[in-house]
Amino acid sequence: MQKTSIIERPRTPATPQPSSGRDSSVTRAKRVPFVLAVAGAVAAMLVVAASAPAADNSAKKVTLTVGMSQDVDSMNPAVGALVPDYDIWNVQYATLTDKASSDFHVIPGLATSWKGSKDGKTWTYTLRKGLTWSDGQPLTSADIVYTINRSRKEAWLNYDSTVHNIVATAPNATTVVLHSSVPDPKLPVMDVYIVPKHIYDKISAKDLSKYPATDGVGSGPFTLDKWVKGQYVRLKANPTYYKGKPAYDEIVLRPFSNLDAMVAALKKGEIDAANNIPSTAFKSLAGAKGIVTLQGQQGGFDELALNGGMGLKNKDGTPTANPALLDLRVRQAIAHAIDKKTLVARAIGGIGVPADALSPSANPEWVPKIPADQLYDFDLKQANAILDAAGYKDTDGNGIRNLRNGGKDIVLRYAVRSESSIAKPVAEFVTGWLKQIGIGTKTSTYSDSQLTSVVGKGDYDLFTWGWTPFVDPDPELSYFKCDQLAKDPSDPTNYYNDANFCDKTYDALYAQQHVELDHAKRLAIVHEMLTRWYRDAAYVVIDLSPDLQAYRTDRFTGWTRQPAGVGPVLFSNTTPTYFNLKPIAGASSGGGGLGTPAIGAIGVVVLALIGGIVWVLMRRKSADERE
Amino acid sequence: MSFRFVSRRVLGSLATLAFVIAFNFFLFRVVEGDPVATLFRGRNLTQEQRATLTHQFGLDGSRAHQFVSYLQQTAQLNLGRSYESNELVSSAIWRAAWPTIALVGVSTLLSTVFGVLIGISAAWKRGSKRDYGLTSFTMTTYAMPDFWLGMLLLVVFGVMLSLFPIGGITNAGSDATGVSKLLDEAHHMFLPCLTLTLAYLGEYALVMRSSLLDTMREDYLVLARAKGLRDIVVRNHHAVPNALLPVVTLIAINFGFVLSGAIAVETIFSWPGLGLATSQAIRGPDLPMLQGLFLVFSASVIFFNLIADLLYAYLDPRVRTG
Repeated sequence: MQKTSIIERPRTPATPQPSSGRDSSVTRAKRVPFVLAVAGAVAAMLVVAASAPAADNSAKKVTLTVGMSQDVDSMNPAVGALVPDYDIWNVQYATLTDKASSDFHVIPGLATSWKGSKDGKTWTYTLRKGLTWSDGQPLTSADIVYTINRSRKEAWLNYDSTVHNIVATAPNATTVVLHSSVPDPKLPVMDVYIVPKHIYDKISAKDLSKYPATDGVGSGPFTLDKWVKGQYVRLKANPTYYKGKPAYDEIVLRPFSNLDAMVAALKKGEIDAANNIPSTAFKSLAGAKGIVTLQGQQGGFDELALNGGMGLKNKDGTPTANPALLDLRVRQAIAHAIDKKTLVARAIGGIGVPADALSPSANPEWVPKIPADQLYDFDLKQANAILDAAGYKDTDGNGIRNLRNGGKDIVLRYAVRSESSIAKPVAEFVTGWLKQIGIGTKTSTYSDSQLTSVVGKGDYDLFTWGWTPFVDPDPELSYFKCDQLAKDPSDPTNYYNDANFCDKTYDALYAQQHVELDHAKRLAIVHEMLTRWYRDAAYVVIDLSPDLQAYRTDRFTGWTRQPAGVGPVLFSNTTPTYFNLKPIAGASSGGGGLGTPAIGAIGVVVLALIGGIVWVLMRRKSADERE
Repeated sequence: MSFRFVSRRVLGSLATLAFVIAFNFFLFRVVEGDPVATLFRGRNLTQEQRATLTHQFGLDGSRAHQFVSYLQQTAQLNLGRSYESNELVSSAIWRAAWPTIALVGVSTLLSTVFGVLIGISAAWKRGSKRDYGLTSFTMTTYAMPDFWLGMLLLVVFGVMLSLFPIGGITNAGSDATGVSKLLDEAHHMFLPCLTLTLAYLGEYALVMRSSLLDTMREDYLVLARAKGLRDIVVRNHHAVPNALLPVVTLIAINFGFVLSGAIAVETIFSWPGLGLATSQAIRGPDLPMLQGLFLVFSASVIFFNLIADLLYAYLDPRVRTG
């Protein structure tokens, strides 16, 4: 809807108003009913709204209501890609093996035990007895084999990276054997969502992407009951879940497009927990009674990325990056010029933890500790000294260093994300520090969609963005390999390496850890890779960025952080909270919290309309009588 | 009204619509970007999966090729599938249209009725305290940004007084049907509806007021008074009907914008209508969804403009002869 501009035409003297006493008294007499009608309507609204009984017919059920910042895009595990989708699958679909809430170590899921061959390529799993789907059909090894083999053949979005090299077979109904074509350190973890064969068998590969997957047949603690897109998702407790029926009846996930309203709803008790709380509201919420706030770390980080210049080239064959950035010393000087503590405290609102190495996993054990003598501490003097020693002098005396041999001013193109609340303040601090070490910047603002394209083409020198890794470090590590540098000019966004930088030794180490079955050895290799990556300073990690969450303590106990102590309670890797929650005896049943004093709303509209119409009619009637 | 007049207007509208259809395609492609890369960033897709998605989204051919298949699709009334949810755009729009029609429709109706009444009342007693009071009130609500007014009402009535829910269209998870569902929806709609009504009231009130002031100096009103008619009769039977003309046009045009929803207000109240759908689709960008939404918005504006044209011509014979 748009407001049209109003230009009042020039005023001319109005027709003289009749001023007989009779007329004005009539007018006043008529005005009273209108005022009364409006006042009555408002009063009625307030009274009725405040006193109307609750019309919630689900009052007897115990419901957990969770507020979230995003709606579900698809219930289909082969298609969906948004954060809330995963929590729905986490409760609806059991996995062959489960993950501990404390540190993600492998624990029994549908399988109670497993055994690996010596070469680590073959794993045999024994399933629980008497497993069933929520619709009563038996859940057997056939469902598991079906899911793994079909998802591999059809390269399902959320499955392919896990099952890419795996073929599953079922010697009998309670045994599953996985054969991997390569030694796979991720095994015996097999955490893809197992779908019911008797339902998915009827859906062809062609139709699968269109399948809404609202069948509600699952094997986890809750299954989909009702989904009203844009309004809520309701899941009901599954009595056939192998660990037993959950201690409460329903989960309701409710999307909010206004996050401040979501916080208000949490304070009022309309919802029991909320994810993605705005950082401004987070602090005010921290002191609220009966509400626990937490910064859930699951490996997500923000970085200042530098263009390493190894991706696509300009038409004349030169690198797209500013030539200065190709010099390791310049990148190191820039790393010395970033004060992460100040950025976290002042640009990121005091939320997050300053970080050094890149975090490739939700499990903090994969992040190496960079030795003190290799750390790029914030030190502008040292940064200046490095640049001086490297020969970047301000030859034209304008305060900005020049490229060597009388080259141009070093002015870096800084791409700022319009969709991030922190990108702009971070850019302001960073450009200030760079100026102090004689490096100029030119900032431009882009939407995320534009920026992926800008980064792919290499039309940037700096940008700030972030990643949220998986539990296994492999995917995040793979993004910075040489084969992920943008190569095809007609399709520059089909690659992950947004630092435009790679290192052959890093690639070799990646290949090693990719097949290393010994956990301790693999850990050491990954630490070495990330220490190298830190040294090359193409990616200056700023901070570990948490998920800001909060929950009420008056209705449920059992909120579980994953991983223990640092992780979030909701939207974590397997979100054990949902099953662990127990209702507090005597607490209200929830499910929306408020009653439905809707009559108030109807009342006011109807009364106000009637008031208006009566007013008009009365005037007209009296006018008609006297004409 | 002559057949020639009507057919010219209808043809003009159809031509505009055809232009809009073509324009829509290019509008959303002016800004560079790769929806596949944006929507699936960090999802660990293989190059093959990305290529499959690019093909599935129809983004792999040349621009001209994409344009031709877009035209063919649209001609068959097929708006494609949303990139984000894989749902048919037409069904996504259909679902989101009803909340918007209810919210923006009712608020447009209310702001029209009350705006016109306020405008009449203020103009007729121009310079009186009532005029100053009403004009200041409507100027104030008109000048307030609707998202700010909405936030204010939400905080006061939703949070502090707890009289109304804080967003959504029904109680989340509610199974209510029939009358209780309707009541629940009305309860949720109250605050966004009040916000929009207040925000747009001023427009009608001010247009009505200035139009009536213009009419009030016409000779036929002097004549009416000279005949001895009562003030109220002169107003309701002689002045207002003539002064309503510009307001009728404004109403008709604004009804065209009903479908476009109210992006800010729908977002504030988590109202799952077309406005909210638009703001969500822009993020991807979900091109088929945006194209579909803008097509519906434009078609609705074009249609109501046509209605306004015809209505005006019907009400004011000078237009069709001119």
